[in-house]
Amino acid sequence: MAAKKLRRAGLSEELCERLSRHQITTCQDFLCLSLLELVKVTGQSYYNVQKLLRKVSRACAPKMQTAYEMKLRKSVSPSSAFLSTTLHGLDKVLHGGVPCGSLTEITGPPGCGKTQFCIMMSVLTTLPVSMGGLDAAAIYVDTESAFSAERLIEIAGNRFPTYFDSDEKLLYLTSSIHLYRELTCGSVLKRIMSLEEEIISKKVKLIIIDSVASVVRKEFDVKLQGNLAERSNFLARGASVLKYLAEEFSIPV
Amino acid sequence: MQRAVGSLPLAPALRARLVAAGFQTAQELLETGPCGLSREIGISKEEALEALQVVRQECHGDAARTAGGSGATRKCTALELLEEEQAQGFIITFCSALDNILGGGVQLSKITEICGAPGVGKTQLCMQLAVDVQIPECFGGIAGEAVFIDTEGSFMVDRVVDIATACVQHCQLIAEAHQEEDHLKALETFSLKSILSHIYYFRCCDYIELLAQVYLLPEFLSEHSKVRLVVIDGIAFPFRHDFEDLSLRTRLLNGLAQQLIIIANDHKSAVVLTNQMTTRFGQSQSTLVPALGESWGHAATVRLIFHWDNSQRFATLYKSPSQKESTIPYRITSHGFRDVQPPAVIENAEDTELNPRKRPRREEEK
Repeated sequence: MAAKKLRRAGLSEELCERLSRHQITTCQDFLCLSLLELVKVTGQSYYNVQKLLRKVSRACAPKMQTAYEMKLRKSVSPSSAFLSTTLHGLDKVLHGGVPCGSLTEITGPPGCGKTQFCIMMSVLTTLPVSMGGLDAAAIYVDTESAFSAERLIEIAGNRFPTYFDSDEKLLYLTSSIHLYRELTCGSVLKRIMSLEEEIISKKVKLIIIDSVASVVRKEFDVKLQGNLAERSNFLARGASVLKYLAEEFSIPV
Repeated sequence: MQRAVGSLPLAPALRARLVAAGFQTAQELLETGPCGLSREIGISKEEALEALQVVRQECHGDAARTAGGSGATRKCTALELLEEEQAQGFIITFCSALDNILGGGVQLSKITEICGAPGVGKTQLCMQLAVDVQIPECFGGIAGEAVFIDTEGSFMVDRVVDIATACVQHCQLIAEAHQEEDHLKALETFSLKSILSHIYYFRCCDYIELLAQVYLLPEFLSEHSKVRLVVIDGIAFPFRHDFEDLSLRTRLLNGLAQQLIIIANDHKSAVVLTNQMTTRFGQSQSTLVPALGESWGHAATVRLIFHWDNSQRFATLYKSPSQKESTIPYRITSHGFRDVQPPAVIENAEDTELNPRKRPRREEEK
């Protein structure tokens, strides 16, 4: 949205030409300047510049929706609002399960079962909707190399023996979970950014990042001066991309 | 009328030509007329007419200002302000201790900032306020609508449904106890559906969308004149990452603050912002301070800091022009934002008659 070119925002050709001479080509550049600077750069009067500002803002601004419309949309497909974890107590506390469309964070000391939980959720995603799943693929970004395909099959076979009775079903399960091993912060970020197309092409309905902390702690030592800022930058950027993916596709992350 | 040409809000090229042609004051411009102007400077007649209209508008604005007229300027006596403030309502938070330290609730025409660590209840309070602003006047509210600008994506409709249901039930209890005509009539319009339909939600994913939305807000507010609350949930989030140029950030934030002050004053609505906390490293220890730096601290009129203390949530009034600094505990229940223990309320029938705005607070069982 921010990188939208001014030409597409509805400004006239000559104005765009003039602005590009000052290196202002996107809405972002336009909105970052103060009013007086805009007057100088566009060569228009004060009131005209205010009108232009509103025009450009309208091109960038998000759409309005009332809370009621949001509720109606959610109630139309109630099952898709949450991904049930099949743990009755946990589902009750979470109001239905892991919410679709937002980020959920699982933390805990080593060995308490976080990776196992993630593997479980990936199995659940591939189950058909009638059994409480999402009937879709899952993306698993693994930074600790803790994912084991054998364990995946073990969980599937023991938890849902009636469903996973044939090899075919197990094959389908394993082929719908896409595993990416990333070992550095940079590659994790790059992978997250490239997820958008994968989600659409492979019909993914769950993204798991296991784990964010391990790769960050490996690379950034907090005691060194500049690293804190870089680390927060990396985390915030990753978080905003993940939030955007979660909301855009209404999937749990 | 003696205004210098260089200070008029015209296009810079035009201004340069006017000054080069020898015009010095606005008076001279108006005397010349559009045809003469176009001949002398070499611009078309339409442009000259436009320029003259701008000049005339400016000068009339000036004259009104010097004559002390109302409308063009915001001059008024302190007595008028006092009367206005006393008649103004507050947006209650359903936590009477918090309302007390705020002096009645969240004030209109002021910017209130809520800072706190993640998970302490900032978004909860915002959702509570978005519902509370819609309480009808006979129950002590201000019957307004709310604009919710979300930058973090933490707005959950289901939670608002819970809060709104509890609020409607609360009002129903009061209406049953008092059995007054206007209470029952107000209850007909104050339902879950109407509450949700009057919360206008915008989801901004980055700071450009936020800036664009704030530029468009005055227009939106004039179309929806009943809006009395603007919530920006997470003003720190889009500005905290990806910003190498800190001076640009400060400039944008200051511009944003000014816009919000204008919006709060012009439309008599309360502006509520939520901010994150950041760690400041001192000599020997580190403290949690509100994010976005010192210069942002001047933007808000009232500042509330939420924090934890041994699994009890506290709210501190950190900055306020009219109330003193104090800390109160609060809790968040399934109904929303509430007090820690039921306040001692004396239900006096007289009280409600004398002051219909203050309705008796009752703590219901969870």
